[in-house]
Amino acid sequence: MRSRDGNLNFSLSICSVVFLLLSLSTLQADEYLISYRYVVKDATLYNETLHIAKAMKKCVGNPQKELILENNNEDDLKKIISANSIEFIEYLQKLGLHIKHEEVTKKFINKSTTILTLKTTCFEVDFNDNFARIIALK
Amino acid sequence: MKYSLLLVALISATSLMAEETVMAKNTGLNEATKNIKVCPECTKVESIREVQFVESKSAVEKVLTEGQDIRISVSGQGVAPMNTASPAQAYALAKRAATADAYRLIAEKVKGVRIEGQDLIKNMMVQRSTIRTSVNAMVRNANVVETTFKEGLCEVEMEILISHSQFAQ
Repeated sequence: MRSRDGNLNFSLSICSVVFLLLSLSTLQADEYLISYRYVVKDATLYNETLHIAKAMKKCVGNPQKELILENNNEDDLKKIISANSIEFIEYLQKLGLHIKHEEVTKKFINKSTTILTLKTTCFEVDFNDNFARIIALK
Repeated sequence: MKYSLLLVALISATSLMAEETVMAKNTGLNEATKNIKVCPECTKVESIREVQFVESKSAVEKVLTEGQDIRISVSGQGVAPMNTASPAQAYALAKRAATADAYRLIAEKVKGVRIEGQDLIKNMMVQRSTIRTSVNAMVRNANVVETTFKEGLCEVEMEILISHSQFAQ
């Protein structure tokens, strides 16, 4: 005879299945190493590089603020980032950039070079059908 | 003999005159000091001036104290390159350059600038004059407030909120 509280074994098994699914979904998140650098010479953009590579070993770090980008069933991070480059670069700038600026004035002629760099940082990327969630690990 | 007497008389007269002027100056000074001591308004004015000086000094140099935040806002400028495929690309590139400039300005304000100057002077003439400035810093959590693009020049207004806890160790 079933008790009024419900079947405890059944509810426990459902909870364990849900927990297993959740843990599997977190395991599916990929990790990428991303570095970004851009050079501005005399107030004009001179060079910009964004390197993306899949991490070959597990990253260690505290998760930072997340970024959600639009995704159309894509599982290639490079394509997703190139489609949403402005949002992604603004996100990188928020994370913090290293600034190196040098200015030389010779015979009243000024030349300046500014280099903004994001050192190789690990990102956890969770691909979904309609969006991709990117979390920096620092 | 007559001339010597005249000379002595002249010297004594000049010494007397000098003493009188010194006395007069001293009495003037005393009066002035008396006036300062007596006149309360004058002291008030001086104290107000001192307060104003202190206030203006504090307005120039902001010091980060506990429980107080400092908001730093800068405006960076960037120019689009000459060979761009479209106005949109020109805007994007100019904005990138302006952002870098704004970041540099924030770094300059927060961390400071290293300046090196070198002048070569030959035969009393300046042969070569070089000024080198450099900034090295790490900036995070800076926010873009406003972006304007006019006649190929992009201006990015950026601000950063600095709190004491960020620097406390």
